[in-house]
Amino acid sequence: MTIATERLPVVAQATRRRASLSALLDRQDVFSWLMMALPLAFLAALVGYPFFYGILLSLEDRPVAHAGTFVGLRNFVADAHDPVFWQVAANTFIYTGAATLLKMVGGLGLALAMNQHFRMKNLVRAVLLLPFIVPTVLSTVAWLWMLDPAFSVVNRLMVALGWPRPGPSWLGNPTLAMVSIIVINTWRGLPFYGISLLAGLQAVPADLYEAASIDGAGGWARFRFITLPMLRPIILIVTLFSVIFTFADFQLVYVLTHGGPANATQLFATYAFDIAMNGGQLGLGASVALAMLPALALLIVLLTVYLRRE
Amino acid sequence: MTGPATDHATTRRGFLKLAAAGTAAATLSRPNPAGAEGKTITILHESSFIKPFDEYVTNTLAPAYEKATGIKVNYEVTSVGSLPTRISTIAETGSGADISMNGLLQVIQFSNKYLDVDDIASDVGKAQGGWYDAGKEAVVVDGKWKAIPFANIGQLMNWRTDWFAEVGVKKFPETWDELYEVGKKLKAKDHPFGFELGHGFGDNHGWLYPLLWSYGGAEVAADGKTVTIDSDETARAVDFCRKFFKDTMLDDALGWTDVSNNKAWMAEQISCTNNAESILWFAKREFPDIGKVTDQAMNPAGPKGRFHLLNDISHSIFNFSPVKEEARAFMRWLMDPKQLGGWYAVADSYYQPLLHGYDNAPMWKVEPRNLPYRDALANAHLPGWPAPASRQMAESVAKYVVVDMFAKACSGTSTKDVIKDAAAQLKDIYRSA
Amino acid sequence: MVTGEGRIREAVRVWLPIGFFLVVALFPFYWMAITSIKPNSELYNKNVMPLIVHAPTLKHYVDLLTKSSFLLWTWNTMVVAVVATAISLILGTMLAYPLARMRFAGASLIAMTIAAIYLVPQPLLFIPLADIINHLHLGNTLTSVILTYPTMLVPFCAWLLLGYFKTVPKELEEAARIDGASRLQTIWKIFLPLCVPGFISAGIFAFTLSQNEFLYALIFLTKTSVRTVPVGVIAELIRGDVFYWGQLMAGALLGSIPVALIYSFFVEYYVSGLTAGSVKA
Repeated sequence: MTIATERLPVVAQATRRRASLSALLDRQDVFSWLMMALPLAFLAALVGYPFFYGILLSLEDRPVAHAGTFVGLRNFVADAHDPVFWQVAANTFIYTGAATLLKMVGGLGLALAMNQHFRMKNLVRAVLLLPFIVPTVLSTVAWLWMLDPAFSVVNRLMVALGWPRPGPSWLGNPTLAMVSIIVINTWRGLPFYGISLLAGLQAVPADLYEAASIDGAGGWARFRFITLPMLRPIILIVTLFSVIFTFADFQLVYVLTHGGPANATQLFATYAFDIAMNGGQLGLGASVALAMLPALALLIVLLTVYLRRE
Repeated sequence: MTGPATDHATTRRGFLKLAAAGTAAATLSRPNPAGAEGKTITILHESSFIKPFDEYVTNTLAPAYEKATGIKVNYEVTSVGSLPTRISTIAETGSGADISMNGLLQVIQFSNKYLDVDDIASDVGKAQGGWYDAGKEAVVVDGKWKAIPFANIGQLMNWRTDWFAEVGVKKFPETWDELYEVGKKLKAKDHPFGFELGHGFGDNHGWLYPLLWSYGGAEVAADGKTVTIDSDETARAVDFCRKFFKDTMLDDALGWTDVSNNKAWMAEQISCTNNAESILWFAKREFPDIGKVTDQAMNPAGPKGRFHLLNDISHSIFNFSPVKEEARAFMRWLMDPKQLGGWYAVADSYYQPLLHGYDNAPMWKVEPRNLPYRDALANAHLPGWPAPASRQMAESVAKYVVVDMFAKACSGTSTKDVIKDAAAQLKDIYRSA
Repeated sequence: MVTGEGRIREAVRVWLPIGFFLVVALFPFYWMAITSIKPNSELYNKNVMPLIVHAPTLKHYVDLLTKSSFLLWTWNTMVVAVVATAISLILGTMLAYPLARMRFAGASLIAMTIAAIYLVPQPLLFIPLADIINHLHLGNTLTSVILTYPTMLVPFCAWLLLGYFKTVPKELEEAARIDGASRLQTIWKIFLPLCVPGFISAGIFAFTLSQNEFLYALIFLTKTSVRTVPVGVIAELIRGDVFYWGQLMAGALLGSIPVALIYSFFVEYYVSGLTAGSVKA
């Protein structure tokens, strides 16, 4: 009897401790942080750490297979003196701007065309997304062949209509080469815009349009004052994501022109790759890659500002 | 496959001399079987254009070595273009292979991870007629041999004999100016030239650096520090290149990569280009009619001489390899005429030996049209010439400084501006020299 | 009650623009298909109309499947995509659930950090990551890409699942909690089964993104036996400076088919996944 009564407070204490432990774990904040611990650790290790390591690398002279020596901002100064660096910067901005604009406008057109009732609509929608689904390097290889003036259907058409043979050099002329990568990027990314905007269009309540037409608004007015404003949030989100990926594009240029002719299609990602992997200069390559950061940071700020306004 | 014993000379006396030297070298290099049980030597190679070349190692050389010494030889092949990345990984992690093939940039980039092989090189050179200067240039870093030169993959002129004949030219032109005149005529007949000016790795450097040198221009002086690109000689080369492109070539060539001119040749779009032996080899097998009218010639000469690009491959031993000594022994065995000659012969002279002992080997008789590749070795140089190989040279090549200088001029930029940009880039690159 | 004239009107209104987009979208695939069945003599022939084939051959497909490691690359790609997707869904859920259901200090900070991470693109990280992968001795292993792909997939999965989780009604979970279930039991038994459509959406999106990855695969996987289809097709169907164009096109087409096929079964989910992030944002 004595033993049992002596034990009681211990057991009670243990039960209270167990109760308080599970109560602790049950608290919203503790539970949340515990649950998020693993993914956060993962991201910290494989994104955060490389990110800061990349910054360190960019401040070092680090030839491959050699130790790095700290050199401060010397790589960035070298980049600033490199005429190709500025050409690369201009290329990347032009490429991103033009392709994004085309994708937005084209995507809107696609969404409007798809926002009607017709048979096989779902099949069409699936097929239209193929350019976006299929691995980029594989479809780009087809474009490589299609853009050869001797084999290009467009060139053949132009020559038939009187253009001097063999027609425009899509990958040899610096301006046309930039046009080519913009066109291919648009081809690939337009479905993403189109289908996203389509969902947005379908979310616009029909009675809004009805009310507007009763009030006498024509097609264009309805589009300007109902459709566009309602699509604004989607356009913004899709554009922000798309711009990031286009700005950092690597695959398309690597396969199509490898940055040529004469750096007309060289982008930040491909230039950094050449310097680091072929030139063996890891520090300098990291500095070029990091040069993408200011523009991307600006976009991150825009995105988070938009989100906070929600 | 050719028999090994008769590979090396056409005269009996020559053969006997070489055989004697070869036997001596073989005795010196006989691998020591003691303690060889269970050891493996891993060799890394880039996949060869000539498939039998790779197969020769796995099917003939490796088994022979294992039989003689008990050491396994593991021949690993990596795809074209992946060799630098692969060597980087091995060098950075200190494991993955014991011997590696090098392209023209890897010896200088990884020299601090490679063993000194002066002794092996010296013995091999003595036994087989001496090394070409180009071979030395390719592998010596700070006075030490960091690799054993293996061969050059020459980049030479490929030309259509039938179309050249149509404009009255039976022999390939000697100078750039003469070639230019022929090109103008051929372009008018819808058989333009097509020289790569884009961002490939071989077929652009293969003619642009020789063009620069043949006019007397160069990136940097022999001291490896002074940037010399800004010169009248360079300007003359650039001016020539611009008119050469405009008046003789397909517009598309400006954006071509290495595979483009091969494709254009088989599609009969061009009458002349700079390439390795791959065009002739492929044409003979897939398009025999085109192969019959394809010939090869050395680069034309400019005012200051005739030059070719040294596009060498060599073999190095990693200094962290656990089987260093076995690897050394293997290298000696591999570079013995019995093995080396057989290996070269299998590849249809696609690999031009850098030892004078092979100057008259029977392999040159198999396809006489490949002979210019041998003669080109006399004036072949690395891109940084006249400076020795350096990491700055690698950076300049990776950034396409010289290629883009010419390409930008061809697309309309003034000679003054393209040289200014190239000089700015090179000064930046060589500031650390 | 559509009149004949109405039908024509519909055709023009619908099929003219849609037809245009369809032709543009599919044309490169048609090109791939046509080129892949042309014998070399036709392939390189610039005088023939390139859009038709006169003497079709399956040689390129046979060569691709027997002489290259294409099937092995396809297997590798599938393994990597499935495992990376699984990891991303699990980690994504572990991030999204607290943000969707719990209130705690720092929630908005975490949400913004995830969005920010999503916007750090691969080309920014590939040089330091290559170094890290080398030091972990993970070069040329499928593990290297299985570990690194989720870095781009987890933030997106978290984002998408967050939007989806918010639409799941709380009543069932609250009822379970009142009955005495622990949080974990509630999540496991009640909540997650309701989220299957969301998982499929996020999963199919992550799966197709994995198939598309090239840069990390190019750098980490240099051995033939561990390569994925995108790198294998681009890097290995070449000898010296000669592309095997027929095999390349065959490989491009065959490499696209598995992805397209799998995606076609889950199109609804894919589209709702695509738009969930944007519409529900």
